[in-house]
Amino acid sequence: MDNKQLTSLMPVAALILGVLLPGSVLAKEPALEKEHEYMVVANYPNNIHVIDLQTDQLYKSCELPDAFGPGVTQIAPDGKTAYILNNHYEDIYGVNLDNCEVTFHASMSLQKGERTKSIFSFAISADGNELYAVQNPTMLYRDHYRVQPPRLAVYDTGAGLNAKPIRTFPSPRQVTVMQTGDDGTLYMAGADIYKVDVNTGKVDVAIPSRNWQRPLYAPPDVLNAWPIQSPSKDFTILYTTAKFQDESYNLETADWIYGFMNVNLETGETETTDFGPLTEIYFTGIRSPKDPNLVYGVLNRLAKYDIKKKELVQAAELDHSYYCIAINHDGSKIYLGGTFNDVAIYNADSMEKLGNIQLPGGDMAISTSQIFIR
Amino acid sequence: MKHLKAINNKAQLLSQAVADDSVEEVVAMSSLAGCTATTDPGWEIDAFGGVTSLCQPMEADLYGCADPCWWPAQVPDMMNTYPDWNKDAMNSKDDWRNLGTVFPQDKN
Repeated sequence: MDNKQLTSLMPVAALILGVLLPGSVLAKEPALEKEHEYMVVANYPNNIHVIDLQTDQLYKSCELPDAFGPGVTQIAPDGKTAYILNNHYEDIYGVNLDNCEVTFHASMSLQKGERTKSIFSFAISADGNELYAVQNPTMLYRDHYRVQPPRLAVYDTGAGLNAKPIRTFPSPRQVTVMQTGDDGTLYMAGADIYKVDVNTGKVDVAIPSRNWQRPLYAPPDVLNAWPIQSPSKDFTILYTTAKFQDESYNLETADWIYGFMNVNLETGETETTDFGPLTEIYFTGIRSPKDPNLVYGVLNRLAKYDIKKKELVQAAELDHSYYCIAINHDGSKIYLGGTFNDVAIYNADSMEKLGNIQLPGGDMAISTSQIFIR
Repeated sequence: MKHLKAINNKAQLLSQAVADDSVEEVVAMSSLAGCTATTDPGWEIDAFGGVTSLCQPMEADLYGCADPCWWPAQVPDMMNTYPDWNKDAMNSKDDWRNLGTVFPQDKN
């Protein structure tokens, strides 16, 4: 289906979805207010929702074309356009949050017979002019499939509904989440955290991960699926590892540890920091914009750690698992998304639950929620 | 490989990889790669050998595992093979009874 057909079908799809979603708000208006803080979440069947963080109420909902999944979002620096990886990891769309209009579309597949997936791996430049995606192509031949080398594709965000890459470069394999620095550097998490020059394609290692050389440490175990744009402008990747007592490398006496690799996207400063003992699993973590010594993690509990003391400060029991953590810009409230179709709100200081926001539609599943100021 | 002879394309590619000394390119996964037969803990048992760090309830983890083809043996692969598996179950916690098992189709 070409994009002209796609665009012409959008109103029909919207109408059908509107009928199929009983009780749904699905209000395209009003436009977002400037200087206002919002949260964006995506869910089944194929919606993007805007939550007003002053009132903690659902503000509006936009229906998206094609199919849902994974619903990874990135917000443009001007807070106007939300980009979303969807259609089973095969297409990136840009949605004007003021009016729900789809203004950008790029198919990850670039030629006939190619099926290409982007595994959570896209980011927007600090000036909002370019979109970067690592694409994993497979050629589907009649009698066999052949995996192709991954590529980094660069798009002009003003390219409209049939966007094609303006530059492509070879990319390391297994790249997932990505973020951009204020100086234009692209950071990509894969086997290591890479630092990429988006004009030349030159790839350097910003933070060694699989290849770290930390004496007495086991290689880290890392889960990278949520490219959270944090208010503190940190690109934070959690890891778990074992630290051995001595060179006998005895697992029985090793300390099991949680930590994070971090890129400060304003300065480019990097760090690899242990923050506490490994006692439970977190799928995402975020640093407090109010107190850089605090880091929060979530899956079955919401936990707060003192980084310097390397200890758990407090933990809150949750109604169910949540994958994706977000924190507002003054660091006072934490919003938990992903999995089912409710956002849970917690006081970041007391860790008390403040409420839930029920979303129209279904599961958020593995989508990324983002907090931003328009 | 002294006593085995490659007779199909896949086996020949494997022999070639050994010959090119490129087998080391295949390494254990320490970060997500998608649609791979991963064997890391997380679905039936957690990283500690228990169940408290599994997702609660398990439906909370269902589409997060099906969408990215995380455990294609345990959960249908919605990324490629069964994209409409949950078309009658948008809310997994309420609609899970509408989810069925899947079987490979016979090729025509």
